Amino acid sequence: MAGSLISQSEQVFIVHGVENDFRSDGRSSIDYRPMELETDVVSHASGSARLRLANTDILVGVKTEIDVPKPETPGLGKIEFFVDCSANATPEFEGRGGEQLANTISSTMQRAYYSPQAFNLKQLCIFEGKQCWKLYVDILILECGGNLCDAVSLAVKAALFNTRLPCVKAALMDGGNIDLQLSDDPYDSKQLDIGTAPLLVTLCKIGTKCVVDPSAEEERCSVISLVVGVTGNPNFYQTDDNVIPDIKCKCSTISMNGPGSLSPKTLKSAIEQGITAANCLDNALGDALLREKDEISYLKKHSYGFLK
Amino acid sequence: MPLDYRRFNGPDDSVSYKRFTPDFLKSYEELLGDLLEKNNLKDEQASDEAQRVFAETDTISQAKGSAYVEIKNTKVVCSVFDPREIPHQNEFSHLGQIYCEVKFAPFSCSSQRRPPAPDAEDKALSEALRQAIEPAVCRHLFPNYQIDVFAYIIENDGSCLAAAINAAGLALTDAAVPMYDLITASSMAILDDKMFVVPNEEEEELAMKSQESKDINHGVITLSMLSELSQITSFIQIGSLETDCVIKAMDILEKECKELVPNIQKVVVRNVIKNVKRQQILHESAKEMEEILDEKYNLWQKSLKAKSYLCFSLSFFSLLA
Repeated sequence: MAGSLISQSEQVFIVHGVENDFRSDGRSSIDYRPMELETDVVSHASGSARLRLANTDILVGVKTEIDVPKPETPGLGKIEFFVDCSANATPEFEGRGGEQLANTISSTMQRAYYSPQAFNLKQLCIFEGKQCWKLYVDILILECGGNLCDAVSLAVKAALFNTRLPCVKAALMDGGNIDLQLSDDPYDSKQLDIGTAPLLVTLCKIGTKCVVDPSAEEERCSVISLVVGVTGNPNFYQTDDNVIPDIKCKCSTISMNGPGSLSPKTLKSAIEQGITAANCLDNALGDALLREKDEISYLKKHSYGFLK
Repeated sequence: MPLDYRRFNGPDDSVSYKRFTPDFLKSYEELLGDLLEKNNLKDEQASDEAQRVFAETDTISQAKGSAYVEIKNTKVVCSVFDPREIPHQNEFSHLGQIYCEVKFAPFSCSSQRRPPAPDAEDKALSEALRQAIEPAVCRHLFPNYQIDVFAYIIENDGSCLAAAINAAGLALTDAAVPMYDLITASSMAILDDKMFVVPNEEEEELAMKSQESKDINHGVITLSMLSELSQITSFIQIGSLETDCVIKAMDILEKECKELVPNIQKVVVRNVIKNVKRQQILHESAKEMEEILDEKYNLWQKSLKAKSYLCFSLSFFSLLA
């Protein structure tokens, strides 16, 4: 992965710090760095979000399209992830340099969103067996400062929360074909139910312990990281009081990145650590998104980033 | 998807007739019932999973090392080629690289024909295979070089990644690539409270399928490990599983991987014995050839001596005259 060069003694410093649960920026092993999140930043997309996690900058746009469902799953919609590693992030991504990284991230996302308990594709169905929504989730990596998977999953969840699907006004059956009339009022739209959408947590093994949200320097010190996808809790994403019985967080995907290996004991503790971290992260994301939603509805939004 | 123009494709909005066959229209519950019934029948035969692996080396003569692995009905051929310089790279890399390619044969899957060009699944599998075998190889021994590993799935009946990893590990051993340990892999499909070790295609599909009822554990896990060092080199899970379930599955898979090791070792040992025997035979035949040659040489030497003596005496006599 792209990153800076660090010396041997710096590596030793970081490894020893992690062993005693002190990290060079004062965080504990499950703390994230400060994040900056804004939604609704791209006007041509149905939903969008921009996330800045320390030096990592991710822009996600969701485009919707009407498509024919697959014959084996007539009642389900489709979702697809595309990752583009822009050469702005690091010169290494120039040409086809970032392709492998992009493929890894998009296939991890695809796997994380696979289970219906993570993301229910039924809500994308328009007319069973004939028409459904297809979501194109385009992920743009603008700056690369470590921990891409987590940042991407957070930004994707925020963008999906922000996505509005236009309501269908009328459907005309013409022979076997269906003619849909979509509402052109931007407020006549429905939101997606993304409460359970998974978040990815990367646990970087440094020395004998794992840390969450590694910086680019910390990433240099480790040879293996574990990516755990954990389903979200829908209660964090709604304001009204009809509390859904708490759903236990589940693993939606687990995979390993990097050239090293792990002992079974470390793997087990890392999975549990990941689930704890994901739960905190999900709660914080829910709060931020609800606050953001309020701001947008009062039309008092002020933007933080460079996208106005 | 790009259309295959060499085949007759039918009208655009046509669907496969298979969609209307009774097998296809079965609901999820019916499929589950069928599967459980079948498994009950199978359980009566009570066979050990690790015994159902067939492995063989030296299947491809052109490759440096190769292996053929059968797990249940899944058949995989894997070949490993000599290290070569990493193409299109300007920088020097201190660690060697491994290039993996997993390909499905067009006729490998029961439901549809595989497109000949690699699709997203092939690429994901290639990446997963590389991740799994990379930690096992001593990559510092061949800097700036690349080892090519090609796995070809001839028949896919579930757990094809596990089969591919096993085959690749065996092929690397056969190619005498320096490695830290033998690598073995196993997979499992989980459906509610049932766990299918080394699932077949039906079980895998059902465990991955979308379900109406919420809160059921379902998913597929593939784990590969270096048993002697007890290191997990890759762990891939899809689906939705509780933590306890993942950990339980992990323990079972670890055991399964360990049980597989002696089987693989047996194949390797058999291969070594075969090679030693072959070497002996070669050695003996070389010896025989040498003896024959020696004999001929002696004969020739004698005749040469005789001739030279004749010449010498002739010249001597001529001088005298």
